[in-house]
Amino acid sequence: MIDWAAFGIVAVVTWVSAMCIVAAYSFAVRLLAVARDGGSTAMLNKVGAVFFFAVCGLIVLFGIVLIVPVLSENILGFS
Amino acid sequence: MDLTLIVVLVISLALFFDFTNGFHDTANAMATPIATGAITPKKAVLLAAILNLVGAFLSTEVAKTISGGIINEDAATGVSITPDMIFAGLMGAVIWNVLTWLLGLPSSSSHALFGGLVGAAIVGAGFGAVDYGVLLSKVLLPALCAPVIAGVSAYLCTKLAYSITRRQSGSSPKRGGFRYGQIFSSSLVALAHGTNDAQKTMGVITLTLVASGLQEANTGPHMWVIASCAFAIALGTYTGGWRIIRTMGSGLTDVKPAQGFSAEVSTASAILASSHLGFALSTTQVASGSVIGSGLGRKGAEVRWGTAGRIALGWLFTLPAAAIVGGVAAALAHLGTIGVVAVAVLGVGVLVVFWVLSRREVVGHENAMSDIDNSGAAVNILSKKERRKRERAARKAAEKEQKSAKQAKQPAAVSSETSGETESGTDSTQGTEKGQKK
Repeated sequence: MIDWAAFGIVAVVTWVSAMCIVAAYSFAVRLLAVARDGGSTAMLNKVGAVFFFAVCGLIVLFGIVLIVPVLSENILGFS
Repeated sequence: MDLTLIVVLVISLALFFDFTNGFHDTANAMATPIATGAITPKKAVLLAAILNLVGAFLSTEVAKTISGGIINEDAATGVSITPDMIFAGLMGAVIWNVLTWLLGLPSSSSHALFGGLVGAAIVGAGFGAVDYGVLLSKVLLPALCAPVIAGVSAYLCTKLAYSITRRQSGSSPKRGGFRYGQIFSSSLVALAHGTNDAQKTMGVITLTLVASGLQEANTGPHMWVIASCAFAIALGTYTGGWRIIRTMGSGLTDVKPAQGFSAEVSTASAILASSHLGFALSTTQVASGSVIGSGLGRKGAEVRWGTAGRIALGWLFTLPAAAIVGGVAAALAHLGTIGVVAVAVLGVGVLVVFWVLSRREVVGHENAMSDIDNSGAAVNILSKKERRKRERAARKAAEKEQKSAKQAKQPAAVSSETSGETESGTDSTQGTEKGQKK
């Protein structure tokens, strides 16, 4: 009667997705901080920061697509 | 009983419930960014209102399945939900929502709604009207699991965020960057809230229309229902439940940007994951769990367990209390038109009393978070613990100086002078300590 598996899936999905987003954003913040210190690798660090911000944004976009049935049907092919 | 009159009454009460739901739950999305100064209170509620509005139009999946299950409403068992029972249930939900707002408790609007409907159904149609298995597995257990799942997530994320941004070289980690992230993460929470909570009222109105034979069964909500619910919840969100924002933003723990970002991302992930997998979680409980979890995850932040306990107590009472009010209202409404009118008059009376009580101490956008608002611009807000630690260290240093001054066996007149100097000495020790920490 009680669907323990569903609880498990919700828990794992929450933990994995939240940690991916936070990790990506944190790396970006760290790289920005390093870039502001200057030095020869400042440009590289900035590019890295932008990359991680983009990764973070993509994960969030994927999440939005998943919850909106119209979007997930049209983009992912299932809802 | 005039069918159309009761239907109109139910729809207006349902929309009012949607409004209370909106201002009750503004805090879920916007309390932490307001607390860290990521966004000004007025802009925050406007952003949340717009995203709630958008979210309400995005999906009607929850509305289509609402109340299907918990209340047995099939012809086989002879149980049928009448509009006056829904009216009584909604009254229970609205009264509980306004009472918890008055107390500043972030309780679950969904649980108030379920509680009110369950209470009304039991009184109106007997104990057989409720499917307790579904109630346990779909409402009560998620109520226990949701805050824990979100809290663990926020705890892990906060730890992760701080360990990734920590600089070994000792230079500034510039964690203020998380404040910009908070604007997006809280927007995501507001959007998720719109896709979930506005649906509940749409479901109730649709159920009423079906029950009174004005709409065919198994059809989705009408466009005017979707639109009016979306606007009701957005308006409620814009009004802002400042009392609850105060509890969530500063009552549970002092929130810093990296922490707030982690908490919001955890809240949004938990809601999105559960709604995608067809699981009903309460937005409020998930958000509270996240805030507490993030408080545990940051070194030096303290969680005020007294407030957390008060909130948990509110959760325990939400379902039964709303059920009792709903039940009493249903018993009255059972008397016919006079009963329904009596419920309406009494309900409005109680709400007016609550409102008058709330005017005694007005909490608005200007004072909901005043102390934090002022220091919001500074990235490094000291937590109480850190502040106390510094004070203690300063006091110790002052005592040492006094002792050494006495040991030097100087005349009494001079020692009194040094005690006057120790105060300025305290400042300098604090200054050097700050320098060392940086």
